[in-house]
Amino acid sequence: MLKVTELSKNYGDFVAVDKISFESGKGAVFGLLGPNGAGKSTTINCISGLLQPSSGHASVAGHDVVTDGKAARRNLGVVPQELALYEDLPAVDNLRYWGKAYGLRGAELESRVVAVLETIGLGDRARGLPREFSGGMKRRLNFGCGIVHKPEVILLDEPTVGVDPQSRARLFEMVEAERDAGACILYTTHYMEEAERLCDSIAIIDHGKLIAQGSVDELRAKLGARDVLQLSGSFPVDATRLAIDALIERHTGDLELISQAEDNVTLTLSQASQHLPAIFDAVSGAGGDVSETSLRSPNLETLFLLLTGKELRE
Amino acid sequence: MKFALTSFRKDLARWRQDVLATLIWIAIPLMIGGLITALMSGQGVRPHGVLLMVDQDESFLSGFIAGAYSAGELGELISVEKTTLDEGTERVNAGEASGLLIIPKGFGAAFLDAESVTITLKTNPSQTILPGIITNVTEILLDAGFYAHQLFGDQIRSIQLMGDNPGDAVVAAMAIALQNKIETVAPQLFPPIIDIEIIEPPAQEPGVPLALLFLPGIILMSVMFAANGIASDYWREREQGTLRRLVFAPARLGGFVVGKALAAAVIIGMVGGLTLLIGFIYHGIAWNKLPASLLWISVSGVALFSWFAALQMSFSSRKTASIISSMLLFPLLMVGGSFFPLAVLPGWIALLGRASPNGFVADRLTTEITQSGSWAIDLNSWLIVLLGAVLGLSTCAWRLRTGFARA
Repeated sequence: MLKVTELSKNYGDFVAVDKISFESGKGAVFGLLGPNGAGKSTTINCISGLLQPSSGHASVAGHDVVTDGKAARRNLGVVPQELALYEDLPAVDNLRYWGKAYGLRGAELESRVVAVLETIGLGDRARGLPREFSGGMKRRLNFGCGIVHKPEVILLDEPTVGVDPQSRARLFEMVEAERDAGACILYTTHYMEEAERLCDSIAIIDHGKLIAQGSVDELRAKLGARDVLQLSGSFPVDATRLAIDALIERHTGDLELISQAEDNVTLTLSQASQHLPAIFDAVSGAGGDVSETSLRSPNLETLFLLLTGKELRE
Repeated sequence: MKFALTSFRKDLARWRQDVLATLIWIAIPLMIGGLITALMSGQGVRPHGVLLMVDQDESFLSGFIAGAYSAGELGELISVEKTTLDEGTERVNAGEASGLLIIPKGFGAAFLDAESVTITLKTNPSQTILPGIITNVTEILLDAGFYAHQLFGDQIRSIQLMGDNPGDAVVAAMAIALQNKIETVAPQLFPPIIDIEIIEPPAQEPGVPLALLFLPGIILMSVMFAANGIASDYWREREQGTLRRLVFAPARLGGFVVGKALAAAVIIGMVGGLTLLIGFIYHGIAWNKLPASLLWISVSGVALFSWFAALQMSFSSRKTASIISSMLLFPLLMVGGSFFPLAVLPGWIALLGRASPNGFVADRLTTEITQSGSWAIDLNSWLIVLLGAVLGLSTCAWRLRTGFARA
C-alpha cells in the first residue's frame, strides 16, 4: 500500500533524504524513527506531495505520488505535526470540510463524520469551536480531519509532540483502531517507546539515511542481549582507548566500544553488571575518573545508540 | 466548482464568528461620512450674541442706533438689551454679553450741532466673531450718521425741534426742503457717475450637492477596509496550517481561491451595501440605481480583495504583509476620493485618483448615483473591473501553488 523506492531529496548540496526505501502493507504500522533533523518530515512531505522528490519514487495504494498525484492523495490521509484546523469553525464542520476536500459527499460524508466524531471522542462537542478546546481535544480533531475520508494510507508526523499523557494514550488507541480497520500507517517519532508499542516494522533514519530496518523483534535481535554501559567523567583519550582495547582482548565475552570522548565512554556487552569492577579498574588504570555510571538493558533506544553512537534525542 | 461552493460556505461560516471586524469596517467610514456630511450640509448652530446698551440720552437718534443693531439679518445674530451702566458693566465683565454700548447724555444734541461726542463700546475679550461684528456695525453707523448730517443736518434738526404735533404747513415746508436737497445731489446720484455693468453667469443646471459627492468615497472606504481585512485571511489560513493541509488533499486550489472570492463578494456586498443603503436613504437617491450600485461595489470589491491578497501573499511574514498593506491602504483612500471627493481635488491629484483602483471604482459609482437613469456605468468599466478580478485571483492561485500554501 505504501512503497518508497530510492527516495532522495536534495537542497542544493545538502542531502536531506538519501535514497531511502521501505514499504508497508495493509493493517500495519510502519515506524520511521530518528532524531530531530534526521529527514523524517522531509520523507513524509515527499510522500504527501508537499515536496517534489529529487529522485526515486513513492506510491500510495499503487499510485505514484508524482505522476498520479491526485489519485495518490485521494488514498492518503495526513495528520501533520502542527495543528491544522479552522479554529473558528465547529468541529463537525471542520470534519465536513476536509471530507469534502477529499471528495466525500452526501450520506457517505455524514456517516463518516459521525463515525470519526465518535472515534476521536468529540461526539458531545461536535458544535464546539476548536479555539475553545483543550490541547488534547484539538490534537484528536486534527487526527480526525486526517482520517475522515477513510484513507488507505495514513501519515502521522510526530503526532504526540507536546501532548499530555492522557491524550497520547487516546491517540495510540485511535491509531490502533485505524490499523485494525485495515489502514497502512506510517508513523514518525523520536520516542522509541511509542515505536515499540505501535509499530510492526521500523526504519531508523539518521542524516537522511536508513541505518536499520526490520520488525521490532528483528531489530532487538540485532542488539542481542547486550547491555549498554555509559561512563561519564574525565578520560584521557589515548590511554583510555588502549586500556579498553586491552580489556576487549582479555574479555571472553562480547565487549565493544561504541563511542569515546574526553567526558564519556560508551560500551556494550552482555551481563555488564558482572564486569563492572574490571572495567572500572581498566579505566582508572588509564588515568580516567568516573563520576557517573549508566547501565541500560537492551531496547530500541540503545539500538540507536549502538548504530549511531549518539542518543536519539540529541 | 463543488469545492468552490464548499469553501465559500466554510468562509461565510467563519466570518459569522467575527462580526466585530465587519461592524468596524462599516462603522469607521460611516462615522467619518457622518461628520463630513454634517459639516457640508451647513445646518450647524449659528452664533448669537447679546449687545447691552446703556442709553443715557433717550433721544430719537439713540433709539435709531438701538434699532439698527436688531434690523434684518443682523437681528438674527445680535439681540439688543437695554440696561443700566452698572449692570451692563458687570454682565459684560462676567462674559454674559458680546458687548456694552454706552450712549452718553446729550448725544443727539451734539450730533445735530455737529459737535464732538464720544460713545463707548466695550467688547467681550473672550469672544472674537460677534464683538468684531458689533464693532464694524458701530463704525458703519457712525460713518452713515456723518454723511446724513452733511446732507440733511438742517432738516433733522428741524424735525427734532418741531415736537410731537407739527402743523401741515411745517410738514409741507420740510418736504419741499428735502426735495430741493435731493434734486441738488441728484445729478451725482441719478444716474450714477460710475456705470456698473452686471454680468450674470449663464444659467446652470442644479449642481450635485457636495455631501452627495462624498458618498462614493465613503462607500469605497468600507469596501477597501473589508477587502484588505478579508485578504489577510490567506495568511491566517497559512498560520493555522489549513493551507498546508489543503495541499495534501486532491481538491483544486483554484476552487479554494474562487470560494474565498465568492465569500469576499458577499461580505463586501453586505458591508458596502449597508453603507450604500444609508447613503441612498439620507440623500434620497432613486432606488432603481441600487442594484447596479450594489453589483458594482461587490464585483469591484472582489477585484480589490484579490489584489490585496496577492500583495499580502508576496511578503515573507504576516506582519510585513499587514504593515505594507495598511501603508498602501490609507494613501489610496486619500487619493481615491474617500476623504475629499475627486470633483473637488486639484486637477492632477484628481487625475491620479481616478487612475487609482479605488478612485476608478468611486468615480464610476459617482456616475451611477448622480446621473439620471440607472445602469449608467459604461461597459468598458465593467470589463476592466472583471478583468482586474480575474487577474488578481489568478495571481493568488499562482502564489498558492508556488509555495505560499506549502510553507
